[in-house]
Amino acid sequence: MENGERALLPPGMSDLLPPDAAHEAATVESLIAAFAAQGYERVKPPLLEFEETLLGGAGASMAGQTFRLMDPISHRMLALRADMTLQIARIATSRLGHAPRPLRLCYSGQVLQVSGSQLRPQRQVGQAGCELIGAAGAAADAEIVALAAQALTGVGVRGLSVDLNLPTLVPAVCQALAVPEAQMGKLRAALDRKDAAGVAAQGGAAAELLGALLAAAGPARKTLATLSALKLPEAAAREVARLAEVVGLIGAAAPDLKLTIDPVENRGFEYHSGVSFVMFALNVRGELGRGGRYMAGANGSLEGHGGEPATGFTLFMDTVLQAMAGPRPAKKLYLPHGTAPADGQRLRADGWTTVAALAADADAKAAARKLGCSHLLVAGKPALID
Amino acid sequence: MSSSEALVMALPKGRILSELRPLMTHAGIEPEAAFDDPASRQLKFATNIPGFDLICVRSFDVATIVAFGGAHLGVAGNDVLMEFDYSEIYAPLDLAIGKCRMAVAEPVEMVSGDDPRRWSHVRVATKYPEITRKHFAARGVQAECIKLNGAMELAPSLGLCERIVDLVSTGATLKANGLVEVEQIADVTSRLIVNRAALKTRPDEIGAWIERFQDAVRAEQAAKSLRKKAS
Repeated sequence: MENGERALLPPGMSDLLPPDAAHEAATVESLIAAFAAQGYERVKPPLLEFEETLLGGAGASMAGQTFRLMDPISHRMLALRADMTLQIARIATSRLGHAPRPLRLCYSGQVLQVSGSQLRPQRQVGQAGCELIGAAGAAADAEIVALAAQALTGVGVRGLSVDLNLPTLVPAVCQALAVPEAQMGKLRAALDRKDAAGVAAQGGAAAELLGALLAAAGPARKTLATLSALKLPEAAAREVARLAEVVGLIGAAAPDLKLTIDPVENRGFEYHSGVSFVMFALNVRGELGRGGRYMAGANGSLEGHGGEPATGFTLFMDTVLQAMAGPRPAKKLYLPHGTAPADGQRLRADGWTTVAALAADADAKAAARKLGCSHLLVAGKPALID
Repeated sequence: MSSSEALVMALPKGRILSELRPLMTHAGIEPEAAFDDPASRQLKFATNIPGFDLICVRSFDVATIVAFGGAHLGVAGNDVLMEFDYSEIYAPLDLAIGKCRMAVAEPVEMVSGDDPRRWSHVRVATKYPEITRKHFAARGVQAECIKLNGAMELAPSLGLCERIVDLVSTGATLKANGLVEVEQIADVTSRLIVNRAALKTRPDEIGAWIERFQDAVRAEQAAKSLRKKAS
């Protein structure tokens, strides 16, 4: 095999090199620390689960994105996680089923997806997130949104913007106005693309109201005002009132956070049952993360759900890193050959990253520069290399 | 990077552009002189509005550039939007220009002896392989697509395929090449499109542009119906 071919990786896979690998790991740890500071305790589910557990119920929506393999030991099909949220929900409703509620859990790990998209070609993505299980109120919805936003701003994400969504609103409107089931597919597609012409053509009795909902998307205060002026069916009006309450609470917890509302957004909210959200950052392509309300341990259908009320969010590390300033160059100190081990230890305790010479150098300064050191130890003191 | 960074709008070269100009004028966009100079090699143009630039590219590229966030706004036909089906593009406004339809056509002599219920496989020449595949798959027919970039109408007579999927406006080109339209796939018009992340992070600015174009479309339609009445 040629050297070049050996470096080739499968589509959607990549090596993370210095300093980016360390930067990603440090960012994940700061996020987890921010979650832990608000009482979210870390759990670590495995990479593989039995196919029918991982993809049962609400997990069915991830089936198309999940790698499978056959287990030579149990002879059963295993699935490699494509998302971690449902693993956390499984833990919460099984092994931690007896733990006091509300249960606050956080996690981070790698997931694999069968196909990247053209816009996001990566198939292996780092995730970090929180789940708040056993709390049904608006306060829980607001805590999760504010926590996600604070953790992201805390690691240095700039221009953050949270788009709040109500995936149950359109079904409630369509049901109340008796839009035929057969039309829902095309209508959903038009709504997802904000295709106003398509919504007008497919919406039937609901066309006018759905058109108004479509046009209402925008900054949170403005959208709430528009929504409250619309004549909505009762179930839909209840959803909007809940959203307004959540917006108020988020405003109190994170007053500087930029909030928008998109009442018809539904993509990626297949198993969500209430206030949901997507995070964006200025001039960054794609989503930094998403989350929202769902039923943990539900059997998948929103009608006959068992399960516990839960909400949470997942951050996608690749996009989060794009929204941050790059890694800061390390202050690296070159220790010439013969430096006393105790000196090295003392300098590291002072916060230096040290790189020790393994043999005597003819020109210590040149050797230091070659290895990317910013400083050289001269007469026991770090000296800046020009 | 800040929210005051310039907005970029991607426009398609060619026939749509002349229909689009009155709408742009109504929305208050006056491009610099090079925009209307056919000899100019310039691809990016300033406008009378500071911080609002135009780029002129092929219609298929408008969708790709907006999807990737290279431009915040754009104009693209729903033929292009259906073909790519980018999740990052919103199409909030029908500009009601560039009207035509996407259709399946086949040679005149084939029509009488053909029973579509018996098909399991068809070979089709098209610029739109995704739409074609989906259209036929929905009725259980596998479509083998031959991607051509123009002059689709020639393909059946050259023996490349039996059928074509293409845009039809008057049907004159089909007729001249011995083809008939047998099935319509979609009505096509040009849409104002926006990048999803841009709309979410700069809702006020981009929302204002959508409204401006909405007013322009309304005014243009009112003018059109007046002209119709007058004639």
